[in-house]
Amino acid sequence: MVSKSVVIKNEQGLHMRPAGLLAKELKSFDSDINLIFNGKKINAKSVMNIIAGCMKCGSEIVIECEGDDEQAALDKAVELIESGLGE
Amino acid sequence: MYYGIGGSAGYGVGRAVVISDELPVYEKIKPSDAAAEAERFQSAVDVFTEKTMQMADSMRLSAGQKNAEILEGHVVMISDPFIQDEIKEKIMQGMCAEQAVDEVCAQFIEMFNMTEDELTMQRATDIRDIRTRLLRILTGTQEKDIREVPAGTVIVAKDLTPSMTAGIVKENVAGIITETGGVTSHSAILARALEIPGVFSVEGIISKVKDGMEIALDGSEGTVILEPDEAQAQEYRKKRDEFLEARAGLEKYRGKETRTADGISKVLYGNIGKPDDAAKVIENDGEGIGLFRTEFLFMNSKELPTEEEQFEAYKKTAELMKDREVIIRTLDIGGDKDIPYLGLEKEDNPFLGYRAIRFCLNREDIYKTQLRAILRASAFGKVSIMVPLVTCVKEVRDVKALVEKIKAELDIEGVSYDKNIKVGIMVETPAASEIADLLAKEADFFSIGTNDLTQYTMAVDRGNSKVAYLYSVFNPAVLRSLKRIIGAAKQENIMVGMCGEAAADQLLTPVLISFGLEEFSVSAGSVLATRAAICKWSKADADAVTQKVMECATQEEVIEILKANKR
Repeated sequence: MVSKSVVIKNEQGLHMRPAGLLAKELKSFDSDINLIFNGKKINAKSVMNIIAGCMKCGSEIVIECEGDDEQAALDKAVELIESGLGE
Repeated sequence: MYYGIGGSAGYGVGRAVVISDELPVYEKIKPSDAAAEAERFQSAVDVFTEKTMQMADSMRLSAGQKNAEILEGHVVMISDPFIQDEIKEKIMQGMCAEQAVDEVCAQFIEMFNMTEDELTMQRATDIRDIRTRLLRILTGTQEKDIREVPAGTVIVAKDLTPSMTAGIVKENVAGIITETGGVTSHSAILARALEIPGVFSVEGIISKVKDGMEIALDGSEGTVILEPDEAQAQEYRKKRDEFLEARAGLEKYRGKETRTADGISKVLYGNIGKPDDAAKVIENDGEGIGLFRTEFLFMNSKELPTEEEQFEAYKKTAELMKDREVIIRTLDIGGDKDIPYLGLEKEDNPFLGYRAIRFCLNREDIYKTQLRAILRASAFGKVSIMVPLVTCVKEVRDVKALVEKIKAELDIEGVSYDKNIKVGIMVETPAASEIADLLAKEADFFSIGTNDLTQYTMAVDRGNSKVAYLYSVFNPAVLRSLKRIIGAAKQENIMVGMCGEAAADQLLTPVLISFGLEEFSVSAGSVLATRAAICKWSKADADAVTQKVMECATQEEVIEILKANKR
């Protein structure tokens, strides 16, 4: 398993639009991708779980990826979140 | 009369169409073929997706991209493999598709509501909408079609869901009334985008209203009258026509320069409380920001905002406004506002106490952080500093010395900033008014804060209903103060503006023009109306009225003359 810590940059947190984009972009990876926040494990391929996770601007989260393409999945997830998910 | 929140301005009279959001009834039967049932669910999702994308397209045309995105979000949510798997799993365990959808959606609604986070809870409304529509598709229930309501309809609903409003024909809807939701609800945002009057959060209204009932509503005050008599209906129709005419009349001032009838240029700015509000000022054609209140950074926080956080907020505003001026008022807080982490003591007279610049100069650590953030942001636009609650010259000199000290530090650090940044003051105390001539030699500009100036000049707490009658900018004492302040600024050739509510008061406009006020800073929604008011007066006409006004002994006489001369 690989993991990395990132900080949410979106002003309104991971709400509908960025959550949808994140889930969509990560769906193509085989690895399990989870976001660890406030002790919760959030499935990063599920927009519903991301929204329920209530990750706000400035929240520090850990991305965990496990599977055959785990490094590629992690790199993509970090890149997406750090770029502000199109916002 | 029923009361709610006025969330979309305007008046409407029409006949009610009640939109129910009741879930379609279904029977909980165990399907014989689970795989076929899962198929049935999947085709319902396909129908849902197709219909929703069509709705999003028509929404984009009627109410813009933002509202369309809400509907597109519904497709994203229902396409979530996680929610689909949960529903299919329940179906495989022997549930019918209806029950599986109902229960899984209910789980998410509860999960979202439990967060108590406003934005996340709004998504719970979306799931409710998705659930109702999926169940309608599965059970073959018809929706009451909001697109087909007749002209002059007042829509009454628990809450308008995005899908309900998708095909709304605004020409046919005279008003919107809901039982839940405030000014930031989807219903209210949409009502404003479509310019339909709306009253929200009217408790129990659905049980009082029947289809076809006549209703009058006031979306500014938030009031609803059921079955108005002819005189009331007539009054509301008249108000509606006047409102629409005024709105259309103001549009012609968009993009115009702010000049008096005889061509004297004025500056027309907007007041804001957070960076995002700058967009509203631009939308309403404001020429800059005359008052950026910075308290939001300190109030919505559990600890002191860092220099970085403040810098980002100021920079964002400066960038939004591009080359237009942004006047940032430094921290204006004191014992009447509860900010626990500042550890301020409760005071007997908070308005006369340890507040605003008095607090800031005593807590140089806090003030320096804010001034550094503002100075750094000044490299990204046209930023000015404004000091609140000044009562003596020393305060201005102290702030300027501190600003110079920070500039020297930034020079050493190699951080860029606007070397010519202006340091102005709020003139809002009787002391500042008395020594306006001295202050005008120190400050780069004046901005008159009429709310506090009136309160302090009249020695009146406007929250106290027994004495609130004294709180009036039309009182001769306040008018004389305004005249002196503006005169002193002009003597020293510094810019003089006003950022209190009085700047947008059209009764006062001729007096302010006559005194020589140069900058008017008003709420975003008042920009066009204020420009229209300024354009109606020439200096000579304003002088003639003002001369009479200044001879009056009472505020009643002042108001009488100004009303008689209103344009």
